[in-house]
Amino acid sequence: MAEHVAPQCFGSAGTQNTGTQNAGAEKAAGSASAPVLAAGIRDFTFHDAHAPALKDAAVSVASGSFTAILGASGSGKSTLGRLLAGWLPPGGHGTLAGYLELSGTRLEFVGGTGDPRIDPAQWGRHVGFVPQDPAAVLSTVRATVAEELAFGLENTGMDRGSMKAAVDNTAGLLGLDGILARDPARLSGGQLRRLAIGCAIIAGPPVLVMDEPFASLDAAGSAGLAALVRNLVKRGTAVVILSQAVEPLLLEAGTWLVLEGGTLTAGGPPSFFGPGSGRLPRAIRRLVAPPASLPSSVATSSRPKQGEPAALELQGLSFGYQEAPVSRRARRRRDPVRRPLVLQDVHLAVHPGEIVAVTGPNGAGKSTLLRHFNGLMRPTAGTVLVRGSDIAGAPVGTTAASVGLVFQHPRDQLFERTVLREVGFGLERLVGPAMAAERAARALQAVGLADAAREHPAELPASAQRLLALATVLARRPAVLALDEPTVALDGAGLAMLDAAVRSAAEAGAAVVLVTHELGYARAAAHRILSLDGGRLVPA
Amino acid sequence: MSSPSLTLPSQERPTARRRLLEILGALAIAATYVYLVLNQPADITGGPGSASALIALTGFLAGAVLLIAAVLPTLPASTLVLIPVALVLNIILGQFVGSTLVPFYLDAIGTVLIAVLAGPAAGAATGALSSIVWSFFNPTVLPFAAGAALIGCLAGLAARYGLFRRFYLAPVAGFITGIIAGVVSAPVAAFVFGGTSGVATGAIVSAFRAMGDTLLAAITKQALLSDPMDKAIVFTIVAVLVYALPGRTRQQFPFIRRHRVLAGTNAAPAGKVDARAGASGQANDPTLNG
Amino acid sequence: MSVSPAGRTLPAPRHRRVNPLTLLAAAGSAAAITTAAADWVLSVAVVAACLGLSAAAGTARRVVPAAAAVLVPLGLSLLVLHGLFFPEGRTVLAEWGPARITAEGLQFAVQRILQLAAVVLALLLFSFSVSVPDLVAALSARGVQGRFAFVLASTLTLLPAIAGRARSIRQAQESRGLVISRGLASRVAAFRLQAVPLVLSLIEDAGTRAAALEARGLGNAGPRTSYREVPDSVLQRAVRVLLVLAALAAVVARVVQAGANG
Repeated sequence: MAEHVAPQCFGSAGTQNTGTQNAGAEKAAGSASAPVLAAGIRDFTFHDAHAPALKDAAVSVASGSFTAILGASGSGKSTLGRLLAGWLPPGGHGTLAGYLELSGTRLEFVGGTGDPRIDPAQWGRHVGFVPQDPAAVLSTVRATVAEELAFGLENTGMDRGSMKAAVDNTAGLLGLDGILARDPARLSGGQLRRLAIGCAIIAGPPVLVMDEPFASLDAAGSAGLAALVRNLVKRGTAVVILSQAVEPLLLEAGTWLVLEGGTLTAGGPPSFFGPGSGRLPRAIRRLVAPPASLPSSVATSSRPKQGEPAALELQGLSFGYQEAPVSRRARRRRDPVRRPLVLQDVHLAVHPGEIVAVTGPNGAGKSTLLRHFNGLMRPTAGTVLVRGSDIAGAPVGTTAASVGLVFQHPRDQLFERTVLREVGFGLERLVGPAMAAERAARALQAVGLADAAREHPAELPASAQRLLALATVLARRPAVLALDEPTVALDGAGLAMLDAAVRSAAEAGAAVVLVTHELGYARAAAHRILSLDGGRLVPA
Repeated sequence: MSSPSLTLPSQERPTARRRLLEILGALAIAATYVYLVLNQPADITGGPGSASALIALTGFLAGAVLLIAAVLPTLPASTLVLIPVALVLNIILGQFVGSTLVPFYLDAIGTVLIAVLAGPAAGAATGALSSIVWSFFNPTVLPFAAGAALIGCLAGLAARYGLFRRFYLAPVAGFITGIIAGVVSAPVAAFVFGGTSGVATGAIVSAFRAMGDTLLAAITKQALLSDPMDKAIVFTIVAVLVYALPGRTRQQFPFIRRHRVLAGTNAAPAGKVDARAGASGQANDPTLNG
Repeated sequence: MSVSPAGRTLPAPRHRRVNPLTLLAAAGSAAAITTAAADWVLSVAVVAACLGLSAAAGTARRVVPAAAAVLVPLGLSLLVLHGLFFPEGRTVLAEWGPARITAEGLQFAVQRILQLAAVVLALLLFSFSVSVPDLVAALSARGVQGRFAFVLASTLTLLPAIAGRARSIRQAQESRGLVISRGLASRVAAFRLQAVPLVLSLIEDAGTRAAALEARGLGNAGPRTSYREVPDSVLQRAVRVLLVLAALAAVVARVVQAGANG
């Protein structure tokens, strides 16, 4: 099959036409206007589900086009993306009624046993897909970035010379040149996403589908991604981006499709969905408008109680990772070698009722700072005072009664079988059974999950999972509330919930510290904004 | 297979070659066991380094390798990528428990998990692979590959026939699996190692030896004390884990859907499949692969 | 001895020029021949050779502790078992109640330990000297081997990653007020709470990885190529065949001999 994959063809669908097809084929793509990828989904239902995940959704993309599919968390975006990309072959995880059409081959599905079975490998040569979590695409069996890129080509039996050319070409396109010899397991988030895109496009598929590619990318990362998408579209690749927010790049798309509750409700050029049109559901956030225009409602509504002693105080906090000594002998012989400090002489006092936002680029040490609040990380120098007392010797589980920390990956924090049990975990020991039930119910209400009390936490959409993690912490009424990137994966509705919950917690007397790379949200939500730069905390 | 078609052929059946390898693997393991049990009395007095160690090693290892060769190429990618995860669970827990003074192993949680999710064939392959990959750090587990494969296969059969539908049946299935696996693994410990690899289990064997048992008898009795309890615990842990998984995650495994492995999940339209499974026997049935 | 990470990317040591399969054949045949010969002189020689080779290759620091972790409990277990309780023993050296130290028992235990030490050291020497990416590339060419290589390499990659995942789950749960006390019940409960999200996330990740790898042709039946160049030569191929034949010959000779005696 090697001869079918030209190393540098990021080209049009026509060059990738595979010619005669089997039973499902109706026609071969010939004219330039024919869609390279299309789907008509009457119904897609997961095996155990009672309601369809997708219903009445039709998508069609042409070569060299740029399409954005916008939908709130839980709207079925990822399911649609995976179906288009052949990552969710109908029959495997659910049943499809409708058709999928790729490079001139149309496959009809009725949801029965006689349906065609997609060959994911062949499909993958026509459609590249980048999932939300780029780490999940790594093969885990290749030692360097270059070999990881080549994995898909190796499997087609391509000769080494062509592979090297394709790897160099793709690396150049994605700016991976400098890290080709690195171990893929040790890349940063942004590098990992570029590698995942590289793995998807190295074989030159005529279509590229990306699911939430902007999540947790900082400004520099987003700019790089935008340049890449423009480049691919210019070369004739059809690019489809699934997103729950209107990122600036998406304004350049030819078509927007809006997905609501598994159904495509509207479609058209971006201008059709202008801010005044009301055609875009409120749950889809616009990250385009300058956030400075948002009124800082917090600052006027509630004032921190400055007279009271600080709920959280950091005094001269410094932290550096310890370099692992080469051997036990070396450990004994000399002081451990230290890398440059991640945190340097940080001073911070947060009073009850105050909301403080900490911003900074990816990798600035924001999460490291939060982990000091409850003792998950211990400072190299300096003290952490919670309600006036030093937490130095206290176990994390004990400090957690006063400090509620919501992690960047909420899934790690959830472990119960239902949403209600999740929020109620450990509450009885804290406040007694009667109070526990009431507090759990109220916390769920505060984040809008009261109706989901019986569901499995792991089956909630990403936005709801983050809100649930927040509720588990709110239910304990901590004196200090620390949130790590709380806006990531939140749709518009979720963001409003978060905002309200944080505000009412502050009004009830909690000291809130939130770490975010979204300056707009920080401005709207916080009383003051600090920036973590070079390990020092300075007013932004 | 390398046609440019976007679809796969509608039905895939296991090849005759795969069945032959499976039968050969099972035969190699069974024959080795029978030979060792029949010939053991002459052996111990014959001193160390007897041919029995070699026969135990070659027979069991060859059987395990044949099983892997039969099953591994037929597993779907979704099962193949789970196997390394299972091996890591086995190795992490096994190393940890092995380093304590508890006379258990708990080194089969991953294997049993795969068997319940993906069926007996996948379970057997995972068990055998677990021993082989683990021997990368600890070569002494290599000879137990056949026993580990047996555990995976039996766990898959237990799941296939509904023993994980009732919570209290899982430890019972584990107990029985432990008896069988313990008896089969004992000759390896006796002839290859001349004892057991752990201090706690070694003490139990010593006690039986003090009462005058032959080495094989003492090790078999020790295995009968440790293994059934160990596997009952492992099966219970796996049942707890599997029932804690959300529905969609469980239902993505065709083996679970087809055979209604777990309680409270929708039965798939499986009548046809079940009839075929009953007709063509157990371990060779294509549906057992998941 | 500086601690620079660059130390890891120095020019490949000499054993990297050897094909990983040649190393495997050498270790495997050494293990098989030692077991077949069952001669303590040979066992001691193999142990000494392995220690010497690992010292020369600079892997002794990792091989010796790994081997000790396996051999010390095993050795103790065998010494206690056969040293004190060996009903077949005739030459009694000392006796306390049911425990009798016999010369035969001690001899049996020591022989077994030496033989196992030789096998364990030979195989661990291989594990710690081989370049895993090279081994995977050398195995990847065909069906079963390729899939086995996938399982091996993926397990080795996932081991530290999963340990890290377990650690981050524990941290996240401690931040929710989970206090693990020393009691058994508390530990069992904590184990369940941590195992559930760990296993769940591992299965979900595996599902995504499966889809990704299928799309990248993991299931292709045709021939594969390798981006990584693995050193090999006609000489090495011949050596491998010889080693395998020698191991087979030793095993067959032993079994035939035993058959003739018995």
